[in-house]
Amino acid sequence: MGAGNDPPPPFAAAVQRDGMTAFWRTHQSTLVTVFLLLPALAGFFGLFFYPMLLTVILSFRPEGHEVGWTLENYTRFLADPDGRWVILLTFILALGSTALSVLLSVPLSLILREKVRGHQFYRLMILVPLVIPGLIGALGLLLFWGSRGWFNLFLLQFMPFVQRPVAVNYTIHGLTMFYVWLYFPYTCVTTMSALESLDRSIEEAGAVSGANRWQVLRYIVLPLITPGILAGSVLTFMAAFGAFSVPLIAGGNYRPLAVEIYKQISIPIPARWSAASAIAMIMGLLQVAFLTLYMRFVRRGGGTGGPR
Amino acid sequence: MTDAMIEFRDVTKRYGSLVANDHFTLTIQRGELMTLLGPSGCGKTTALRCLTGYIRPDEGRIFLDGKDVTELPTHQRELGMVFQSFALFPHMMVQDNVGFPLMIRNLPKDQRQKMVAEALRLVRLEGYETHYPRQLSGGQQQRVGLARALVYRPKVLLLDEPLSNLDAKLREEMRFEIKEVVTRLGITAMYVTHDQAEALALSDRVAIMNRGRLEQLGTPEEIYEKPQSRFVAEFIGLSNFLEGQVQAVDRDTMAVGVGGLQVTVPALPRIGPGHKVLLFLRPNEIELLRPDAPAGMNVFDARVEKATYLGDTMDYRLTLGQGLDLRVQSDAQRRFGPGAQVRLRFPRVRCWAIPGD
Amino acid sequence: MTLMKAYLRGLWEGKFILGYTLLLSLTLFIAAPFLMIALRSVGKGWFGRLWLPPQLTLDWYRWAVEVGNIPEVMKNTLIIGAIAVIVSTVIGIFAGWAFGRRQMPGKEVLMAIILLPRMIPPITYALGVAKIFYTLELVDTYLGVAMAHVSVCAPYAILVLSATFEGLDERVLEAAGVCGANTIKRFIYVVLPLILPGILASMIFSFTHSYNEFTLTLLTYGPNTVTLPIRTYLAVGDGYWEITSAMAVIMVVPSLLILAMIQRRAKPEKLVGGFKGV
Repeated sequence: MGAGNDPPPPFAAAVQRDGMTAFWRTHQSTLVTVFLLLPALAGFFGLFFYPMLLTVILSFRPEGHEVGWTLENYTRFLADPDGRWVILLTFILALGSTALSVLLSVPLSLILREKVRGHQFYRLMILVPLVIPGLIGALGLLLFWGSRGWFNLFLLQFMPFVQRPVAVNYTIHGLTMFYVWLYFPYTCVTTMSALESLDRSIEEAGAVSGANRWQVLRYIVLPLITPGILAGSVLTFMAAFGAFSVPLIAGGNYRPLAVEIYKQISIPIPARWSAASAIAMIMGLLQVAFLTLYMRFVRRGGGTGGPR
Repeated sequence: MTDAMIEFRDVTKRYGSLVANDHFTLTIQRGELMTLLGPSGCGKTTALRCLTGYIRPDEGRIFLDGKDVTELPTHQRELGMVFQSFALFPHMMVQDNVGFPLMIRNLPKDQRQKMVAEALRLVRLEGYETHYPRQLSGGQQQRVGLARALVYRPKVLLLDEPLSNLDAKLREEMRFEIKEVVTRLGITAMYVTHDQAEALALSDRVAIMNRGRLEQLGTPEEIYEKPQSRFVAEFIGLSNFLEGQVQAVDRDTMAVGVGGLQVTVPALPRIGPGHKVLLFLRPNEIELLRPDAPAGMNVFDARVEKATYLGDTMDYRLTLGQGLDLRVQSDAQRRFGPGAQVRLRFPRVRCWAIPGD
Repeated sequence: MTLMKAYLRGLWEGKFILGYTLLLSLTLFIAAPFLMIALRSVGKGWFGRLWLPPQLTLDWYRWAVEVGNIPEVMKNTLIIGAIAVIVSTVIGIFAGWAFGRRQMPGKEVLMAIILLPRMIPPITYALGVAKIFYTLELVDTYLGVAMAHVSVCAPYAILVLSATFEGLDERVLEAAGVCGANTIKRFIYVVLPLILPGILASMIFSFTHSYNEFTLTLLTYGPNTVTLPIRTYLAVGDGYWEITSAMAVIMVVPSLLILAMIQRRAKPEKLVGGFKGV
């Protein structure tokens, strides 16, 4: 506006100031965007990127030293049979609970889709484990499934041939079940929303073409909601893979990666930060690698016929 | 009644290499209902957004009631606008939606209520004051939008394809309603649409746009009967185009040779023998006669290739002359089957020519 | 896949009985642990094979408050939660506006990067956060623990708020402008009422996260910043199950209240994106 008509400014300072305003004018939009993103970027670098970088560096340092480079922290953990067992255990728990969550969620969502009596109550029940601290869930589960809990009481009193309490707590299958309790809502809710967004007229079209209700379910509904189920199962897997508080108090001798990391810095004196960092790096890499593979699988085969 | 209310003067707007408005110039008189008509992407929406101030033109000025408003922010332009997507405020009741422009202008509450009630009466929505937009049907929502646009008697009412989100029956009803309200208030209105029927039915004048430019400006009759270009003719639904060459000019008529036939049409200024012209014929204005009808001026023999029954009319594809194809619609009383020989008569005044390329 | 098919087929055959059995077991499966906790927290002398505690008492709550220092712990939790909510909401509003309403090159990539913390197990970066906070002496301060929580809360706030801002209809804003509202009035009367639910949702999500957050807290807390989950964890370690149960009840009630409050408004699938109580 009129800037071009002004006589040339007499002083160099004025030139500079004019340059500044011109710069502001042309880049205003970009600068505002950068300004808006600044807090998020600061948080990202300060609370995620830099800590991760530090963990990477630490994982290559000899234990207790601030200088020098070594691969020992990795090799020691990976060469140790216990270390490999920890990795295997983490995968067993995460994959087992993910599979069980899918098996539980699919029929559950199909039932709740039919608006049975009290379906809203059941929907709410499904959400409960999501808002509860994992710690509290684990505590209640330990109490319920323990040798003096209702589960064993029921077995002892009403089931023949059960003479002594059945061990659930601190076993691998018990822990898997606890994981399911905590993390199946991710799968279930995603499956339910996939079912809800399904156009009923597509099923009608299937029925009109001569498919019975089972066939409609098998050939139409399931293929269409598979992407939703898989997306939800990824969330369950991620949560189960990274689970920390539950195995910490309910795992007993079964310590998946997250607990193993914490053990390294909490039990030995002095704390073994480098060892912990190395295990953390292994854990992070394993999760990223697995997710990448999983996504590729989902995109190639698992998600055929999905509407989105 | 001849002073300009809205004036676009050489308005140009570019998006990268795309020119949305290319030296667009248009004047809308006070109290006039002007329609900007054109296919999507012709720049009519850009022109509207330049007028609301939502987009700033790269070049050119815009005048509103004699004042240059090119640099004025939207909210100071004193406009009323009806949106294609309704754009009601979803969190406000009908009365608050309609009263919003008044609240912004700090009008006292009792006066506000009176004006809101009046606006709602104007669009026949009394009794819906405390409904939320989501509780209303599409037609009702659009009437709320109209009431909101009119409530404070803006200088200008803008309508951006207000009917395209409604179903066909409602569209016709609302078309009539908008026309009535605008006429009753005597307000200047600019209506943007791609629907030629809407434009012809509503407007005092129609401005047809193409590629960011004004293609033709005129009353609905002028646009419909005397299109000035092939684009306009096609856009308002003409389907028979015949290329020919002027053979002779006789005061107010001229003879045009088309595919071995000689057609007599009204003469064009500055067009003499040898010029190429383009003839337009409306399918429903060609007379279809028995093969034994008397010969005469603009009467030709033709052969029916295809006949389709459309209820009250028959739709024919005909061939005549040297490889000419014509589409003709006539009433279904008298029918010809495929292969039948017929005679056609082109009414002279209905046969319109423009200079060819 | 055949296993899955047989399983589903079996369920299908006896669907009505099975359906209700499934729903009932689900209810029991989810609710029973809470019943056990609740009973344990008010039971006295509950040993051996008994279905219900023989005596009721509120002693464990008294113990929890007096020995477990619950009021102090609650205060810590709320202060830390408030700081975390404010910081992550500010981050979320700014970044959400940029992602939801502004043009920028590489938006998707940037968004994926900023949301990366959700893809990595918290314990892996919690280590680095703890190490940094030790050197900055932020460990065992309200600000430090709250900032650790922000690393978990902020991605969700950004996610929720960019969706909110993206859903804001440009035409509605234009309509307000045409009606005569200037930028400030447009913001007060139109933008704010429309985005307020989203901001509230993001604040509730952030608070629930902070309230439940365990992993990062465990690595950054100290004697002065014990939060409820930490206090409960410490009590579990001490082995007093009754007192732990009482604390758990105190801790769970607000969570359930929040769930009851928001369940009518928010869609469950949004909650999945919003909550993660590890």
